[in-house]
Amino acid sequence: MGNKQTIFTDEQLDAYQDCTFFTRKEILRLHGRYHELAPHLVPLDYTNDPDVKVPLPLIVNMPELKENPFRDQIVQAFSEDGLGNLSFNDFVDMFSVLSEMAPRELKAIYAFKVYDFNVDNFICKEDLEKTLNKLTKEDLTPEEVSLVCEKSIEEADLDGDNKLSFADFENMISRAPDFLSTFHIRI
Amino acid sequence: MRCKRLYPEEETAGLAVCSRDTIAYRLFHRNEIAFDSFVETQTRHQRVRRHHIWKHSTEQKCQPMSHYYSNEGIGNPAYYESDTLEVDRGFSRGFPHSNPYDAGQGSWHVMGAGVGMGSGGGRGPAEMLPAYSAATVPTPSVGVSRGGWRESWRDSASVLISPVHPSNPPTETPRWQPQQSYTVSMRLLGSRRMSLFPGGAAALDRLGLTEEDIQDEMENEEQDLVKNLVAMSTKDSDTAIRGLPMSFSEKKYIRSQVLAHRSTKQKHQFTCCADCSGQISMFVRRLRAGSGSVRQALALWQGFMKEVSGKFGSGVLSYFLFLKWLLMFNVFSFLVNFGFITIPQLVSGDAFTNTAKFNGLELLTGMGFFNNTIMFYGGYSADVVGQPPNAIYNMQLAYLLTIAVYMVLCGGSLIYSMATSFKSNFVLEGASGGAWTLLCSWDFRVVNERAVRQRKANLAVQLKESLSEKAQQDQLSSSEKLKRVGVHLAIWLLATGLAIGACAAIYFLSAYEQKQIVKGSDAATLLVPFVVSLVNLVVPLIYSLFNKIEHFSNPRMQVYAVIIRNVFLKMSILGILCYYWMNNVAHKPDTCWESSVGQSLYRLVVVDFFFLLLGSFFGEFLSNVIGTTCVPSLGVPEFDIARNVLDLIYSQTLAWISLYFSPLLTVIQIFKFFILFYVKKVSLMHNCQPPRKSGRAAQMQTIFIALLFLPSYVGALSVVAYTVWSLKPSASCGPFRGLRNPFAVVEKWMAVEQDWVVWIYEQVIRSELFFFLISLIVLVLTYFFWQLKEGRRLLIIQLRQRIANEGKDKAFLLEKLQKLQKSNRSSAGKPKTRMNNQRNVSNRQWYAEPGHEEALPDSRPPISESGFGGMRAAIPGSRPPMSESGFGVSESGFGGMRAAVPDMGLNGLRAAVPQSGPPAQLRADPASSTPSGLIQAMLARQQAEQDDDDYDY
Repeated sequence: MGNKQTIFTDEQLDAYQDCTFFTRKEILRLHGRYHELAPHLVPLDYTNDPDVKVPLPLIVNMPELKENPFRDQIVQAFSEDGLGNLSFNDFVDMFSVLSEMAPRELKAIYAFKVYDFNVDNFICKEDLEKTLNKLTKEDLTPEEVSLVCEKSIEEADLDGDNKLSFADFENMISRAPDFLSTFHIRI
Repeated sequence: MRCKRLYPEEETAGLAVCSRDTIAYRLFHRNEIAFDSFVETQTRHQRVRRHHIWKHSTEQKCQPMSHYYSNEGIGNPAYYESDTLEVDRGFSRGFPHSNPYDAGQGSWHVMGAGVGMGSGGGRGPAEMLPAYSAATVPTPSVGVSRGGWRESWRDSASVLISPVHPSNPPTETPRWQPQQSYTVSMRLLGSRRMSLFPGGAAALDRLGLTEEDIQDEMENEEQDLVKNLVAMSTKDSDTAIRGLPMSFSEKKYIRSQVLAHRSTKQKHQFTCCADCSGQISMFVRRLRAGSGSVRQALALWQGFMKEVSGKFGSGVLSYFLFLKWLLMFNVFSFLVNFGFITIPQLVSGDAFTNTAKFNGLELLTGMGFFNNTIMFYGGYSADVVGQPPNAIYNMQLAYLLTIAVYMVLCGGSLIYSMATSFKSNFVLEGASGGAWTLLCSWDFRVVNERAVRQRKANLAVQLKESLSEKAQQDQLSSSEKLKRVGVHLAIWLLATGLAIGACAAIYFLSAYEQKQIVKGSDAATLLVPFVVSLVNLVVPLIYSLFNKIEHFSNPRMQVYAVIIRNVFLKMSILGILCYYWMNNVAHKPDTCWESSVGQSLYRLVVVDFFFLLLGSFFGEFLSNVIGTTCVPSLGVPEFDIARNVLDLIYSQTLAWISLYFSPLLTVIQIFKFFILFYVKKVSLMHNCQPPRKSGRAAQMQTIFIALLFLPSYVGALSVVAYTVWSLKPSASCGPFRGLRNPFAVVEKWMAVEQDWVVWIYEQVIRSELFFFLISLIVLVLTYFFWQLKEGRRLLIIQLRQRIANEGKDKAFLLEKLQKLQKSNRSSAGKPKTRMNNQRNVSNRQWYAEPGHEEALPDSRPPISESGFGGMRAAIPGSRPPMSESGFGVSESGFGGMRAAVPDMGLNGLRAAVPQSGPPAQLRADPASSTPSGLIQAMLARQQAEQDDDDYDY
């Protein structure tokens, strides 16, 4: 990095390294990707922590997210301002959680957030229906959707409140070993 | 320090959350019953705490938070005030975003309490104010719940982030430290938001609290945090910080604090060394990071792996990862063999004296030209390299030990990966069904547009199938069941018969081949490998045809059945070949029989390679052509992961067996896998479609590793071990010529070795007693762990049962509450008009919040609000450990309701409370929560609320 232009100071890179699951090189690459998203917005020089945010529509256009049915939800979950705009820190955060190294617990927290469409801290039937419709291109009839969702809740709901709390969700995930590898976006 | 005993929010939430602002503390002054119930709850929390301590058995862990729990607080008015501080926390979460603290961070800085504040400085409370109100007032529900969500993270964080070594027995080791630090840091984060509130000072005055008190509290918490993080090793604290569920700037803030603290601590201790050690630690960190980047750079085929997972998902990716893993095994094997066996042989100058002419066919047969080369066992000499007095390299020992060490390392690595894989993938019985399909099965790695479309369609079909299947299964008659069992039996018999027939054919063919070799026809030797590979290609295809006849209730059973049949086939073929070699070939001492076995293996490996290529041509390319042009109903083929992985396992078994007979065969194996990787890649990209049934990739991978270990590695090891231990090596060639068996080398070596080596050899390796003791100990340990496992299983069942009971308790309390409200309304029934209006507003907003409408449909203000608090008072105490995070989550919804109440005078104040208490104390035994006491508490709260109304107006 030293030969061309300083993007981050060493201290910054150390901080990124210590707080995320990325190495220096990956941080620089992530910066490159972030810069690509909005070249006119994002400066190349990040040594003085510029307060730059890339809006959601630009982020969900990344090839890694473009086809993901939950792209908006993912970006929302990591957005500091709640509007879907991501600063570079949020951006790094997002891919850090989605990286291979992130522990299951951390991934579970954000996955829950992704699936909780109405932000009521429960995955209720409504959320599941939305999820299902996103997952199946609305191929199923409304009755089928409703049936599948009801059955899903019935299966996974441990405390009988007819919606999935985070505990239920985590319990389910602990029994789904694939989750670790599937809730993963390689950058 | 008056608010030192602020109750962590989970507890206070239960006690006073739902009453409004100042109600709570008056409640306890005025109402005897409530006080009693409060004390009762308090003692329960004590019990809870004890429970918690027991659970972690570490005083250390509890020490920093102990001041939260001490009983003294009951008599202290600030205690109740602190309760009220908690009351409307929801408002303080009013940021419309998940992460409210960084604004707080700024103000924190202003207050001068921060150490080494990194980011976010300068954004003070004043600056935050507009955004704050703008966000909260117009859209209270959205903003609040987002914030509340975040809040709940912190509530649950210490549960979510389990200790780094969960399997360790709870001891007073620093291993538990990470969890502790999470808890503390979570609390700190709560406190960092303190001066967010706009009119905070006035509100504080009303409660008799000053900012200094809060600041004190904050400092305490910060010290706790820093102490704990600093106490950890650098690596542990880094991992801990990385795993915190918060935004980067917060993590960075915590990190900067820890670093600052660490460096000052060092300076205090050794001023002269501090600089040096700081630099060293920095250097080590950079080095570690550097090694990480190097590892990444070395990782093969990164880009391609991403492409595959993007197009085909994790299942297909696991095949390529497996292939890569095997390739690494072989590269290591090559390095070891080449370094310790071949190079000394070449150096010794005793190179092969080859007279045979090279005519091309040797590349396939490995005979003729290759006969006496270092490729095979026969090419190695039994000499001692160098002059005996100084430089000694014993070729015999080197040959034996190199292979032994490689085998041991391989075994260790296999067992390790198998165990870790089992641990993460088979801990609990697999989840299945709709919820799993919906929430866990989507592969976030898939980025290809077509693949996504296909996946969506497949998922829809899968769900529809599962709906119809369930209906179908119920009406299966017993005669039909019997028929199915019959079909299974017949097919198993057929499959086994096929395998046995193939084995017999191969055995006789091998005998025939031996005769041909004696006659001198080289090309005939290719017959056996050809037939073996053909069987390996065709019979699995027949097996896959069985799928059309057989019906398994569970698709996974089908996959397992196919795998078992294939493994049986491949392993019995290899077994019969080994039997033939050991029995017939090995008893011809006049020839160099090891080399001829090595050549047979060479042929098998090479021909297998061609058949693998053919397999991808027929299996993928041709069926693609047929599927797209001739018979469209067949469609584009899928990549058959199971078949391909089993082929790899078979190849690897061959390579392991050949280790002794042909040390350099791994070179061929490396080339084979390398080329195969690219062939499969091209074939996959051009011919295949993403698999229809997704999921279970992780479990399949575990099974493949297990298969690689159990029949494959263990089989190869036993063949090699048998050869080394019992077979007489050929007299004319190879390193072990003239010995009784290859293992005799070790005995020969012992005769000239020093005492201690001999002692170890005699006492350990040759001693029955030693192995007897070892096996005894292992058996006892196994029994012990098995019992432990059984105990854990029971515990899991009990805990799950408890969660279910909690749900019932909740429903029961809710019902009771409603009854109470009705009776209360009919008896008391003179609410204040103005209050009522406001309440109506708030409740309407609350009802408007999604997810809560059904919770309490017919409860009406003013009672419902406090009533809910009462109900919730029951919940925290009786939550079992597993669900406490759930509680944290559920709570925040109410935060939203409370925040919507417009007449909150003390909004800001609520923000001043460190809101994220250690969730651990939620752990309570449900038996200790007495519903009657709680209901009394509810009643008391309602009473107090009415009193409060009188007081205000």
